[in-house]
Amino acid sequence: MATPQVERFEALIMPHLDDAYTLARYLLRDEHDAQDVVQDAALRAYRYFDGYRDGDPRAWFLAIVRNCGLTWQRRRRHDRLTVPLVAQHASAPDESRATDASAVERSDREAINRAVAALPEEFREVVVLRELQGMPYAQISTVVGVPIGTVMSRLSRARKRLATMLGTTQEAS
Amino acid sequence: MQCAECLDLLNPYHDGELLPEELAEVRDHLALCPECTRAYDELVATSHLLQDGLVRYAAPDVLNARIRSALAHEDATPLRPAFASPRWLRLAAAGLLIAVTSSLATWGTVRVRGASRTARDEILATHVRSLMPGHLMDVASNNQHNVKPWFNGRVDLSPPVPALDSTGFVLDGGRLDYVGGRTVAAIVYLRRQHVVNVFSWPEAGDDSDPSVVTTQGYHLVNWRTGGVAFWAASDLNQTELSEFVALFRHGGAEAKR
Repeated sequence: MATPQVERFEALIMPHLDDAYTLARYLLRDEHDAQDVVQDAALRAYRYFDGYRDGDPRAWFLAIVRNCGLTWQRRRRHDRLTVPLVAQHASAPDESRATDASAVERSDREAINRAVAALPEEFREVVVLRELQGMPYAQISTVVGVPIGTVMSRLSRARKRLATMLGTTQEAS
Repeated sequence: MQCAECLDLLNPYHDGELLPEELAEVRDHLALCPECTRAYDELVATSHLLQDGLVRYAAPDVLNARIRSALAHEDATPLRPAFASPRWLRLAAAGLLIAVTSSLATWGTVRVRGASRTARDEILATHVRSLMPGHLMDVASNNQHNVKPWFNGRVDLSPPVPALDSTGFVLDGGRLDYVGGRTVAAIVYLRRQHVVNVFSWPEAGDDSDPSVVTTQGYHLVNWRTGGVAFWAASDLNQTELSEFVALFRHGGAEAKR
């Protein structure tokens, strides 16, 4: 019999694995690192699950993913012990599994993802959390650990930059 | 409302983060001001482009399996005292072991004894884990004379590493793995991008012929030769894997302690 805590973890946290993985992909820009970070984050979330009381479970989990991602980035240059020589057969690129519900052309999509990947991290994360994951500002504030006003101004500046990069800037008539 | 104030509120306006009275003020201002309307149109166009164009990634199945397996492992391992009462841990472990894909859950707590169910499950879990990016190889080489010596002093046998390239099974490297509480040798071969892991470790007992078990789409072949237990694991079809095992045994009969 599963205990209530285990059932809660399965019910509240595990459904957000795709969102966690997506955020990690955008933060780390590497699928292998993203997988390791999400696994690490899930284990930490499980260990500290006692500390989760209320609030949005996805925001709580993604905050852990983000922290693990930042920690990972700081140390990843130092502790690569093994050399993955044959990564290509380990898993097919999962772009093929990405949901593709839009009419945006492939080339446009590549340009968009390139532009976002080129953003500074503090802009990139708010764009992903807002535009891709549809989070309200209050939850983004939880994940990123900054006040709502900061979320707003980062989002505003990020969108301005992207408008310039993507050519959606409206010409003055 | 002044333009500067309106421009400051365009993002929260677009994102539905304004209170009703602010929202009405922005809307009224936009109705009158072409400058702010142009800025708003730009914002909306950018936002929609992002929403449509950003890639939403699905967590790979193997990541999901790895997490559930690690959670089960976590529960089987004593944690910091602050975390939980032993009773809670036991219940949690029991719960997860049931809830989790059954065969992935048991490694870490079992001992391998012959072709028992737990050994089979553990080999499968180890094989799946090895398919994770970066986890396949410690020594990457298609030369048996590089791979074989690499194990010297790392495991307590010198695993056979036959060269089978001419038969379509290409040596890809080796690594240390952890099965049944001991460090074992894993030799990796490839056939058309299918991975074959061959695990081996010293094990007392008579020689035994290969026996095949199939679980979750993987075939596992187990045999024992000269006091060494072997497991070959792959998603190759059974015929090809049996062919591989025959070639491997033929080429690797010189396994020594």
